[in-house]
Amino acid sequence: MTTNTNSAGSGGKTRHEVCPVSELPPGKKKIVQVGNLTIGVFNVKGEFYALANVCPHQLAPLCEGRVTCETIAPEVGEYELIREGEIIQCPWHGWKFDIATGNSVFNPHKLSTPTFDVAVETPPTDDDGEDETANEDGTDVEGSDQQAEYGTELMGDQPPIDTYEVEVEAEVVVLYV
Amino acid sequence: MSQQPRSGSRARDPDDGNLSLVDCDVHPYLRDEDDLIPYLPKNFQSQGVFYPKGYWSSPIGVPREDAHPDDGGPPGSDPAKVADQLLDPFDIDYAILTGGGPSLAASTLPNTYYAGALTSAYNDWLIDDWLSADDRFLGSISVATQNPEHSAKEIHRLADHPQMAQVIAGSATRIPLGQRNYWPIYEAAEEEGLPFAIHVGPEGRAFTNPPSGAGYPNSYFERHTVLPANFMGQLVSMVLEGVFVEFPDLNFVMIEGGFGWVPHVLWRMDKNWKGLKEQAPWLERPPSEYVRRNVRFTTQPIEEPEKSEHLLQIFEMMHAEETVMFASDYPHWDGDSPAHGLPPLPEGLSNAIYHENAQELYGL
Ligand code: FES
Repeated sequence: MTTNTNSAGSGGKTRHEVCPVSELPPGKKKIVQVGNLTIGVFNVKGEFYALANVCPHQLAPLCEGRVTCETIAPEVGEYELIREGEIIQCPWHGWKFDIATGNSVFNPHKLSTPTFDVAVETPPTDDDGEDETANEDGTDVEGSDQQAEYGTELMGDQPPIDTYEVEVEAEVVVLYV
Repeated sequence: MSQQPRSGSRARDPDDGNLSLVDCDVHPYLRDEDDLIPYLPKNFQSQGVFYPKGYWSSPIGVPREDAHPDDGGPPGSDPAKVADQLLDPFDIDYAILTGGGPSLAASTLPNTYYAGALTSAYNDWLIDDWLSADDRFLGSISVATQNPEHSAKEIHRLADHPQMAQVIAGSATRIPLGQRNYWPIYEAAEEEGLPFAIHVGPEGRAFTNPPSGAGYPNSYFERHTVLPANFMGQLVSMVLEGVFVEFPDLNFVMIEGGFGWVPHVLWRMDKNWKGLKEQAPWLERPPSEYVRRNVRFTTQPIEEPEKSEHLLQIFEMMHAEETVMFASDYPHWDGDSPAHGLPPLPEGLSNAIYHENAQELYGL
């Protein structure tokens, strides 16, 4: 994952490239390490969200749970599944959280897990050849192996036939922490 | 009116018209069980009065030895004696009669038609022999839960009687009380504005489940100790099945099943609700909130922890100022004295437990 400081429009947060968009299709999630934070990045129906991978209950790795739905009841004895794919369920005791807001389903106003800003960006061209798979502090990030195949290097030797399409392929999911 | 906390801290100004004590569990006994036969429908009269009894025998008896009527009938069988021994000396404003013998055991009878008929007979006898004897007696409409259709009819038949305060059944069941087959009973009770109560006792008799899921206990001692296990199962079933969502105005009274376990069950339900609420998605609030709103527990047999302040802590944990009502269980051996059964309580809690909660529940 590529990390640099982006002071423009991100409130002084640090910019971390998570992966190419193509690696995180709708319904998928990726868990990445940023410094000493573990963060789950989710693609929910084309929208990207990021949650701390920590359950506020007993600090389980929340984002390793199932991506699921909420169950409501139009009547006693009836079940209706709503918001399919929008909920993460803690792998330990099953508490559910809204992926978009980090709010718990059962007590949304009082209990939540932190969220982070995510964006989809075309990465800036980078010719200095630095290793971009490590964070600024030198720690490796999870999933960095695959990421080496993408980014600016891919476009190096083979000039794009269709510039527009290549740029779409090259879009990356970026986390601001 | 100010009261000093003291043992059984109650005081009533006789002139202010306020209640001071409602006893939520008093048992009227039949002088002779055959007294019910004339009240049975003709087709059942030749079969007499029968219901599953026994199973466990108490070495010290179940009724109090000192409660026999002066003419020697069974304890608790003479309304005048109950007035002399309980209502008058303790200045009890109302005593809720909770049935006994055939009425509470009716829910264990395999023959559902006979079970229904037996409860109807008992109810008519209760009106004739007890409710008419003293207007401080309030009755409970006995029903046989394994026959919900008859139960609902019985509730509608008797709800207008001015001294009928609630519906009651023995707590023994084949399947837990929250399940939908019982709902005609709750619908009728809610419609008539009567609480639905259960009373311990007949668990395990005939086809019903044993007093705890562990199986049949060996002794009366063992069985009496585990009776709350059934109440835990019934309460959790009533709440999680959504009875209080479907029937928000139904009150549920749990009589003589103890209450020390209530905080534990409330915490456990609320904790599980966080992870498992998808199995009861109709619960809009944490389960404990339905208990506070819809369920009441009676005090007898009062929990006697090592330190009496622990009892106050249990009361605090279960919001006793809203949920607990005094009961003596007269004339049973494990009953509590209205004056000395409970330790001193703070004034507000004392008023709530000794009369206010019952006044509100029963509209007194
Ligand atoms: S640690 Fe997540 S639900 Fe308990």
